[in-house]
Amino acid sequence: MKLAALLTLLVAATASAQTFDTPPPPAAPRPLTIAAPVEQVLPNGLRVIVAQRDGMPLVTAMLVVLSGSELDPPQLSGLASMTAGLLTQGTRRRTGPEIAAAAETLGGTLDSGAGWGQSLVSITVTTPRLGAALGLVAEVAREPTFAPAELDRLRKQTLDALKVSYADPGTVAGLTAARLAYGSGAWGHPASGTPASLPRIRQADLVALHRATFRPDRAVLILAGDIGAERGVALAKQHFGDWASAAGDAAPPPPAPPTLAPGGPTVAIVDMPAVGQAGVVLALPLPPRQGAERAAADVLDAVLGGGYSSRLSQEVRIKRGLSYAVYSRIEPRGKSGLFQAALQTKNESTAEVVSLLQAEIDRMMQTPVPADELASRKLSLIGGFSRTVETTAGLASAIRSLVTTGRSPAELKTRIAAIEAVGSADVQRYAAAHFGAAGRRLAIAGVADRFADALRAEAPGLVVVAQPQLDLERAEGLRRE
Amino acid sequence: MTLGRLATFALAVAALAPAASPGAAQAATAASSARATASASATETLQVPRIAYRERKLANGLTVLSVESHGSPTVSVQVWYHVGGADDPEGKSGFAHLFEHIMFKGSKHMKSEEFDRLTEDVGGENNASTTEDVTAYETVVPSNHLETLLWAEAERLANLRVDEANFRSERAVVQEEYRQRILASPYGLFFETVSTRPYLRHPYRRGVIGSIENLDAASVADVVAFHDTYYRPDNATLIVTGDFEPRQLDAWVDKYFGPIARPKAPLPPRETAEPAWTADRTITVKAPNVPLPAVATVWLAPPVTDADAPALQVAAALLSAGESSRLNQALVYRQQIATQASFSADLRAGPGLLIASAIAAGGRSPAAVRSALLAEVKRLASRPATRGELDKVKTLLLTAAFSSRQTPLGLAAAIGDAAVLGGNPERVNTDLDDLRRVSAADVQRVLRRYVTGAHSVALDYVSEGNAQ
Repeated sequence: MKLAALLTLLVAATASAQTFDTPPPPAAPRPLTIAAPVEQVLPNGLRVIVAQRDGMPLVTAMLVVLSGSELDPPQLSGLASMTAGLLTQGTRRRTGPEIAAAAETLGGTLDSGAGWGQSLVSITVTTPRLGAALGLVAEVAREPTFAPAELDRLRKQTLDALKVSYADPGTVAGLTAARLAYGSGAWGHPASGTPASLPRIRQADLVALHRATFRPDRAVLILAGDIGAERGVALAKQHFGDWASAAGDAAPPPPAPPTLAPGGPTVAIVDMPAVGQAGVVLALPLPPRQGAERAAADVLDAVLGGGYSSRLSQEVRIKRGLSYAVYSRIEPRGKSGLFQAALQTKNESTAEVVSLLQAEIDRMMQTPVPADELASRKLSLIGGFSRTVETTAGLASAIRSLVTTGRSPAELKTRIAAIEAVGSADVQRYAAAHFGAAGRRLAIAGVADRFADALRAEAPGLVVVAQPQLDLERAEGLRRE
Repeated sequence: MTLGRLATFALAVAALAPAASPGAAQAATAASSARATASASATETLQVPRIAYRERKLANGLTVLSVESHGSPTVSVQVWYHVGGADDPEGKSGFAHLFEHIMFKGSKHMKSEEFDRLTEDVGGENNASTTEDVTAYETVVPSNHLETLLWAEAERLANLRVDEANFRSERAVVQEEYRQRILASPYGLFFETVSTRPYLRHPYRRGVIGSIENLDAASVADVVAFHDTYYRPDNATLIVTGDFEPRQLDAWVDKYFGPIARPKAPLPPRETAEPAWTADRTITVKAPNVPLPAVATVWLAPPVTDADAPALQVAAALLSAGESSRLNQALVYRQQIATQASFSADLRAGPGLLIASAIAAGGRSPAAVRSALLAEVKRLASRPATRGELDKVKTLLLTAAFSSRQTPLGLAAAIGDAAVLGGNPERVNTDLDDLRRVSAADVQRVLRRYVTGAHSVALDYVSEGNAQ
């Protein structure tokens, strides 16, 4: 080989080796544009929202009624959930098994359920089957029979499911934390009911709730995916146009926004002597969020616990190996929200992780988030949102989240800009105003004698309840020692 | 079992609380589903778009598969390695999965967790998963970061470095993952046992998650040896889907992956033999935290590449896909003997498992639940499914495939499954055609061959010292 050629090769090799030392920089970004959904109100008051997304020939159809578990009467926890669950278990025309078979013949599963501020029926099918699927959605929403035999069956299944939930330390800690946060108010009970409340639910309760809440002027039909606005509205008219509200009064307005329970314990341990790990949930009720405050709170949540690289994950998992997964989120309760940070750890590490959780929340209040950290967590939040709307079901759910918290579906289009506009000062101001120690509630489910003493030192008012005696029916159920 | 680097976020209080839950099926009789399918031949009109992937093979043995789509400005970069829990070193069960976590803990030119800087911090995401046969690293990033990600994947394939402190902290994380999945979850130990203990000799017997003790036995030296042995271009498949330009992709792949040498040593063979099961066996598992007893009956299945695989998948769907499935309708809805019931075809590169399982309803005995479970499986083996019922489950399976392929992440995963587990990327297209061709007689034939005509292992999961 000639010398010149050899030199050229060496130079090339050196140059290329250098480029391998550091990651190549990104190219110019290609922004995501999300179209605003089209909305039309039918004469009977039903809002129809169509969000077209090209790609696979799929459509998600979701009928949302704007009330849910917050309307459960004090003695009847789980009523909204049972009502929604039974919609698909029999109509004037079909039995439960016939409805399931009809939906699954279309390729989808007909899901129904209730949560805070919402009750819904949804299905995802290929485009040619959308009309038939909407026929089923309309049938179960408008003509359910709530047969006593079906109520008994679902009640028994739900009671069995509760046995499983009550054996899971993460689930128990979450349910307990909500009770600690909201006390006896309308927003603190378990939405899926309790072993005491479920046997009290009667057919008449279901029928009455359905008549008062499943009305076109309290409902929103969301169609997302391979469907245009014109066709979507035409299908909505065909299946829901003659839906009239039942005689009688509509449901009462929603109960007052949830607020922190006054008095009562702030820390509760549910003793589960047989579990191999403790479940830890720190909950904090947030007031209704207005305007730009909403995005500031979301960015705060992202910095604190919104992903693998969040502060809680850095401190608990990455630096100390104390948990496989630690996350936070803000779960909507009407226009308010319940912030929750949750993790599971070996029983012996419980007190240590509790200190870490508290310290990281304190830090959010005391010091501004550095600019580079803020920028990366905002991008992470924006990326997560962008990926959610890549699927028809995700797109429908994003619209559902907006309408069930009283916001316009057009916010889909402005969501990214709202997150981008949040500054460090906004985050710190929100944390300082709403994340103080007085509002924090802590629930731990695990082997109490491995960590109760260590925690008692920091939380003198703590209560310990043996799991078999756990009564989530009333806030007072957490007061027994 | 599939284990991942990151847990799916499951806070205790779900946003929606469906009454009763169990994610289980609830089902329809053959008669009613036939009625509901008056239009019949549903699947014949359901056209599945062909996935037009490109395939390249580099000189060092790396397979590259790509599909261009511009539905959103994102791209998924995935590297699938043909190594899994079945390749764990002796006495170090759980190692392949631990190693997957270690792949994020730094390399010659990347700090620990720098992978997260290049993904999460720019609006993307990353995860990884380990099964018995395969380890997959799955990333999604805004498409302008494609070159950076290709560099990063090539870098950790070529230059993994990990120090003792990072190794120990991540091992502790994996041990917490073990506690969360196996010790804290009420049925974690049950499902782990079901998918491992029935094997007599195959390495699948060891499972993927391992044990606290076996994980304690692993060292940084094991990491180095495992990387040298299995993390090589001729044992990897790179998959790129989404918003990219093909010529640009090829150039970057050549630039970053091309120079990585193919080791001279051959890949070590995997012990693959599982002796025929010549007798029925029974295993009882007792645990301290069992809210309701559970049962399973398990049979050996052929490899995922076997011609009988599609019929077994359709059989599993007839028995347990959806609320209208046979097991749900019989055990959960009509007899109310179980809170959930399922039949899964857990097909693997080697001998897999057919698993019938159920969690008892309150007050029901394991023996009664098993008897009801087996009766439904036998009924499907002895009487053919109707045309309507068969069409129903095929439509469900095809619609589920559509749904999962909507995103670059899901599309790349489907290709990875076809290419790495199935041995041929074209299976991403032909597998769905094969499902469509399965007849009622095929379903009966495979159930008779692998289930009713074969030996099984029966597992009971009950509370310690407490006859429930």
